Amino acid sequence: MPILKEGELDIISHSAEQTRRLGARLGQLLQPGDMICLSGDLGAGKTVFTAGIGHGWGATLPVTSPTFNLVNQYQREADDQLLYHLDCYRLGSADEVDTIGFDDILDHSGPVVIEWPERIEDALPKALLWIDIEVIEGDRRNFIFEATGDHYQKLIDAFREKAFGF
Amino acid sequence: MTYILGIESSCDETAAAVVIDGKTIASNIVASQIDLHAEHGGVFPELASRAHVEAIDSVVSQAVRDAGIGYAQLDAIAVTQGPGLVGSLLVGINYAKGLALMADKPLLGINHLEGHIYSLWLSQPFKEPEFPVLVLIVSGGHSELLLMTGHGQYERLGGTIDDAAGEAFDKVGRLLDLPFPGGPHIERAARHGNGTAFDFPRALRDGSYDFSFSGLKTAVRREVTVPPSGSRSRRRRGAEKRAQLRSDVSVNDVAASFQEAVTDILVEKTARAAKEHGVSEIFMAGGVSANTMLRLKMRRETDLPVRYPPLNLCTDNGAMIAAAGYFRYEAGLRTGLDFDVLPNWPLSSQLYEMS
Repeated sequence: MPILKEGELDIISHSAEQTRRLGARLGQLLQPGDMICLSGDLGAGKTVFTAGIGHGWGATLPVTSPTFNLVNQYQREADDQLLYHLDCYRLGSADEVDTIGFDDILDHSGPVVIEWPERIEDALPKALLWIDIEVIEGDRRNFIFEATGDHYQKLIDAFREKAFGF
Repeated sequence: MTYILGIESSCDETAAAVVIDGKTIASNIVASQIDLHAEHGGVFPELASRAHVEAIDSVVSQAVRDAGIGYAQLDAIAVTQGPGLVGSLLVGINYAKGLALMADKPLLGINHLEGHIYSLWLSQPFKEPEFPVLVLIVSGGHSELLLMTGHGQYERLGGTIDDAAGEAFDKVGRLLDLPFPGGPHIERAARHGNGTAFDFPRALRDGSYDFSFSGLKTAVRREVTVPPSGSRSRRRRGAEKRAQLRSDVSVNDVAASFQEAVTDILVEKTARAAKEHGVSEIFMAGGVSANTMLRLKMRRETDLPVRYPPLNLCTDNGAMIAAAGYFRYEAGLRTGLDFDVLPNWPLSSQLYEMS
């Protein structure tokens, strides 16, 4: 794990299964209103990572691709929270987030995971966790976590602790 | 004779049709937005709902006019209530509500997936099926394997755990730089390609009736793209990081091998479910059911009769909504004027009884 500037974390995942497990670790830590942006090309593993998040968070249904519906929401048994999973690929710009009820999604009723967040960057809040997923080769993926704001810095620290024990 | 007007606007087609007695198409109008969305490589919701608003009035009027009737002769109006894009669905629902109020006709909210199933009732000559039948719905947003035990009675056997089958076609089309929608373009390219050139994975051969197409998409990506230059370097937020299509790869071979993999798994699971549940027939519906290779393999793999809709009824249309509406209407079911859009409406018997 290379030393990066504070607020960043650099991880290599060697398989889709490992990507899923990393997602599950993060999912266990998510609080209502947390925003996770997943940036990466087609096939990078955004939905696999989110499936892990859903599992760790406790979603009652498995997470599937949000591409068709644009927004999928999941419930869990522990409480009334909702987990939102967005695919913004088909949104032309930040102006169009109204069409998916973005304001309602930001009402802190649960964590929010966004695929293709660069499409709506102007509509995103300042503080968030941005994760770049890059294809290295084969099934290997490079995850770079970048936190903005204290809350997300703490989230990265807790995640590092949970996933790697330090 | 019972005249049902069907209105469909759940995704990128604004469609309306008049169907007589649930089987005979009196008119069928579809205003497609494919050209509108093709330049973007997918359906854009904002564009879609704006286009629906512009098209719906003329599409519905033309459907009624072409049927040679007036609004007064309609027995009921059926409209897609979900699943689909909220903004798009609302255009159809609000128009249908207004029309129902104005013409004083009963209104029926229809599940889009049920509509696809009832597209099978519109093929001629029609023979009433003996239930149970096995239903495979494969489209851009759905991959569902269902046991249909009667009109409006469904048991879900499985479905996709990640990407829908049609979505896999669209995304692989994107990887291969083929135009949108991916399905027909991949099928065309595959005709000139070698289907055994690449051994793409067939996922979930585990005895379940679920599908997974995400790993297949990733496997195609691995074969056909070169990583963006300097792949390990830190990238700026929002930077374009699309992988480039390799110049030495045969698009036709990839398309053919991909199509082999998708159709293999769809046919394998459908045939097994049909056998296990002792059905009398196999029904296929949805956009991907237009795929010639899928139709061919399905017929080859099973001794049962296989039905699929005529090509123009595989994709979204109003006639299938009217046909589904007819069976609800005949069963005495009605939906009040105050019903709301159901963007994630799973097709199940419980919800059918709800209305």
